[in-house]
Amino acid sequence: MRDRVMLLVEDNPRDEELTLLALRKHHLKCEVTIVRDGAEALDYLFATGAHAGRDACLLPEVVLLDLKLPKIDGLEVLRRLRADDRTKFLPVVILTASNEETDLLGGYDAGCNGYVLKPVDFNQFAEAVRQLALYWLDFNETPPRTGMIP
Amino acid sequence: MADVQLVRGYSVGAVDYLFKPLDAEVLRSKVAVFVELAKKSALIRKQTTELVQREAEARRLADARAQLLVDLEQKNRDLEAVNKELETFSYSVSHDLRAPLRSIDGFSQALLDDYAATLDDGGAQYLRHVREAAQHMGELIDGLLALARVTRSALHRQEVDLSQLARDVAARLRNHERASARQVEFVVEPGLSAEGDARLLAVVLDNLLGNAWKFTSKRPEARIEVGKFVKDDGPAFFVRDNGAGFDMAYASKLFGAFQRLHAAAEFEGHGIGLATVQRIVHRHGGRIWAEGRVGVGATFHFTLGEGERK
Repeated sequence: MRDRVMLLVEDNPRDEELTLLALRKHHLKCEVTIVRDGAEALDYLFATGAHAGRDACLLPEVVLLDLKLPKIDGLEVLRRLRADDRTKFLPVVILTASNEETDLLGGYDAGCNGYVLKPVDFNQFAEAVRQLALYWLDFNETPPRTGMIP
Repeated sequence: MADVQLVRGYSVGAVDYLFKPLDAEVLRSKVAVFVELAKKSALIRKQTTELVQREAEARRLADARAQLLVDLEQKNRDLEAVNKELETFSYSVSHDLRAPLRSIDGFSQALLDDYAATLDDGGAQYLRHVREAAQHMGELIDGLLALARVTRSALHRQEVDLSQLARDVAARLRNHERASARQVEFVVEPGLSAEGDARLLAVVLDNLLGNAWKFTSKRPEARIEVGKFVKDDGPAFFVRDNGAGFDMAYASKLFGAFQRLHAAAEFEGHGIGLATVQRIVHRHGGRIWAEGRVGVGATFHFTLGEGERK
């Protein structure tokens, strides 16, 4: 059985590092795949473009999605995921600095499973990441995928 | 022969033809009739002139109003553009200014966590200062964004139960983790009601009561009152505390953004709260003012313009 996988869509390398530090700080066991922009996120999940060799049936347990991304922004990525049968039920949690109402409404409207703010305080941030990882990788039942060998 | 002259007479403008010898009675009544007719003609001419003038006036007003509408539409477009700019600005601030702060705070904490062995107490202390500064700046950004949001957001007027709002804020303050040891008496006058935007008024009470809470932190028996009193030009609401108070000499600085009258060491804060409250009160068409005495307490009064209930 493979390790649980979290896909982190994050363009800021420092934020990426801090997220990994946070996971390490709480000794959370999971495989983290990182993509740097919206286009790459879609390529990865649909196994196209640079990720054409990937097995498209293997989806991560959860996607942590930042909103402000280069090429294709977070909300557009989410909309395209929800529009495709393969990724319609893929758990996506928006992890972002913005608490602007337009973003919140936009996120839920586009079908996110959660919306978590990135606090400035690292300990709070680490705690948020820990809880997200625990919940989505441990507690949550992933949506069923046909033709999968567990 | 008489007929030709008759027709000629009429054709050059005669209105009647009298044959001699004249009957005095007939003459008198005919003259009376024609005098009456002449007067009526004059009246009609006068009324026609007036009507023409009024029509011209009406046309002028219509033109002026059309121009006003054009100006108003332009101003609306300008306002929308400014709002859009402000929204974009706030959005950028939200994301872009916070990102470096996360790095500053995060890697400082990472240093404290992972390099504790090589850091002495002095070094650890410096890093804690760095973290505090980053977090403080985060709060400043939050405050500024809240202030900008108040300016942009639409005002939805409805009947608001201010007493209930005040009680909710008081409950929230009491339940805050650091509050457990404190003895604070909240006195909220029942039945306080106003017509205004519920969300924005909640922000007002949140700030005023939060300040009262903060500045009474050194008072063993703190007392915070929320009520209403009637002035000559209508009712005003107030939030009163028996906390640190302030020097009235600096009252004019109270509502300026980033203005503080107390040292950060005494009471933490960033000085945006009151600027936000003032903006909300002004948007409602009201006024806000404060009275204070150092070591005794402070009272913040505000009206909400014509949206108030009498």
